[in-house]
Amino acid sequence: MTAQAAETENPVRDRHQLRTLAVAVTTVSAALCAVAIAIIYAIALNQLWFLHFPLGFYLLAQGLIFFIVFVSFWYVRVQERIDHTRTLNEEIA
Amino acid sequence: MTAQSRQRTPNPHLGAYYGIVASAFICVAILLAMAEQLGWSDGTIARWLILLPLALYLVIAVAARTLDVEDFFASGRRVPQVYNALLLAAITVGGTGFFAYTGAIFFLGFDALAIGLGWTCGLLLAGVLFVPYLRRAGAYTLPAFLGQRFQSRETRIAASALQVMPTALLLAAELSIAATVASIFLPLPYWLAVLMVAAFVAATGILGGMRALTWSGSAEFIGGAIGLAVPLIVVSIMLTNLPAPQFTYGEMFGSLRGAETAAGMSPVESGASEPIMPQIEPMSAAKPFLQSFGTIGESGFFALFLCLALGTAALPSLLSRSGVTFSVADQRRSTAWALLLVALFVITAPSIAAFAKLLMFRDMALAPTEGLPAWLSGLSHAQLVQARDINGDGTIGAGELLITRDGVALTLPTLAGVPYVLTALMAAAGLAIALAAAASHLFTLGASLADDIYSTLEQRPVALPRLMAAWAAIAAVALATAVFLFIAEVDALRTAITAFAFAAATFFPVLLLAIWWPRCTAWGALASLGAGFGVLFLAVTVGALFGVAETVAGTGIVSLIAVVLALGAGVGASLYGPAPTDFETSYYEEMRKPDGETIFDLAQARAAAPAEED
Repeated sequence: MTAQAAETENPVRDRHQLRTLAVAVTTVSAALCAVAIAIIYAIALNQLWFLHFPLGFYLLAQGLIFFIVFVSFWYVRVQERIDHTRTLNEEIA
Repeated sequence: MTAQSRQRTPNPHLGAYYGIVASAFICVAILLAMAEQLGWSDGTIARWLILLPLALYLVIAVAARTLDVEDFFASGRRVPQVYNALLLAAITVGGTGFFAYTGAIFFLGFDALAIGLGWTCGLLLAGVLFVPYLRRAGAYTLPAFLGQRFQSRETRIAASALQVMPTALLLAAELSIAATVASIFLPLPYWLAVLMVAAFVAATGILGGMRALTWSGSAEFIGGAIGLAVPLIVVSIMLTNLPAPQFTYGEMFGSLRGAETAAGMSPVESGASEPIMPQIEPMSAAKPFLQSFGTIGESGFFALFLCLALGTAALPSLLSRSGVTFSVADQRRSTAWALLLVALFVITAPSIAAFAKLLMFRDMALAPTEGLPAWLSGLSHAQLVQARDINGDGTIGAGELLITRDGVALTLPTLAGVPYVLTALMAAAGLAIALAAAASHLFTLGASLADDIYSTLEQRPVALPRLMAAWAAIAAVALATAVFLFIAEVDALRTAITAFAFAAATFFPVLLLAIWWPRCTAWGALASLGAGFGVLFLAVTVGALFGVAETVAGTGIVSLIAVVLALGAGVGASLYGPAPTDFETSYYEEMRKPDGETIFDLAQARAAAPAEED
């Protein structure tokens, strides 16, 4: 492990890190934005009903939870593909 | 030189073992249900249903005892992903979630949903931002990771000292919940119950460290899940004819609203003088279940959510389990499984509160014609509910029914009139989850104090070997917490929220910078740690005198301000201080590689190699 090696140009590593950052930002911002929007519009959404629940309540009690679980497993799948690509590219290089 | 990898094959019979554990737990419950019909007393049933599983958990901990350092601190790095997820979920929710969160939803309804949402989102943040990189680094504790990342003893010691606050608060909250349940159902004096649960979690930690926590905690989680699911499904079938309470309690909202109105409950005004969170003392339910933002505004709701999310993401007890699975990919998947388990609890908790509230106020509304409900004397005897006709009108309104917040989940089977064994099952479940969480907090704290402070400062390993130092620290922390609980009355929910706020303010910024910003230096890490902790500590101590951080929403807002200031301090100190060393840069790059040998293990192997050659 040397700093020289770390600072050397490495397109495979850089591409991996960029894609990792993009996926992380997408995942985190999707979850936080969804929660923020649901909170802002909760009172208005409560006028609508879904499965016997007021929609605003339903989103905060269940809907967003399902969304976060879905996003989490989607992230795992995408990140593993990104990691696999880096491993393959490094082997080829 | 290449380091020799240890063989990391999990036991192939684990599924069979835990199948046996689950079957044994269910068999005991069925046998006791039969015994109840044969005339066994409630106290005897509760004692058997609580003590037998406790003995089983202890036997598993004894069987998992170890003197191997890697087993003790990282469970041999061979825990299958789903078993680790059981523990991660138990630590996130804990007994506080099982009892206090359910009670908070009972009192606040909609407004309490921020808490569960925060835990769920926090696990997502942890899984995306921190956990895979901590697994790659492989340090035994969170402070050890920071120390290795920046090659700085000062950072390691500071982080270890600062993690005392969130971890000790959570430990006190979990032990208090566990002791309360034990004192009600065994029954024992509170001080004896505290001693018993403290001794139990200390024994688990001392016997086998992380290894015993993992295998004993997995059994505790299974017991907890069965104990929660069975009574709730029975009640759900009774009320809605369907065994899926999460999806059917919405059908009850019409009846619930009617019962609340009959009990004299009306929408509360936002910003009223009522306490924003229900207190530990028995109190009356004043807020309708579905009223949105009645006790907490939209901004407070979001602040509380975000504070809990960031706190969960950076919780030392959770992150210290980041090195126990086989690989980075396993650890990432494990966090996703944990998120799924927490999500199942979070969508279930409102149904417990809604059912309990409906049954309680519906029966009370019938009191003038049909007399006081049968459950009232039993719940009053257990000090979970108190009713007094204060205005002498012959009815018990919402304001005259005092309910213990942390006992709401325990009241549900009694309110529904199902056999007592289901109440005892619910108690055994909550106790098991609280013990699993408490043992993890205790181990995290004890192991860190021993390994990050004592072993770092004490350079002579002969004075107190590594494992002995950890044993001593775990025992001392358990004793200190027990003594604290003898003296102080702990509000588990408020304490847990403060702990999450401290975890967010202290550790989220520094971890974000350490893992995602190559320019971050040891000075930046120290500045970030100090600023985050310092701002929040001042707010909850000095600021409390001036009304700052008085409420949980206030604590949430202050913790978010502390996070921003800590990020600024970390960035500023890193940019204006010395540049990162070669080691820091190369460690950062190595940490972000998706595969390869664990950095810590590689360093250990390299350090051991010259000694072996000599």
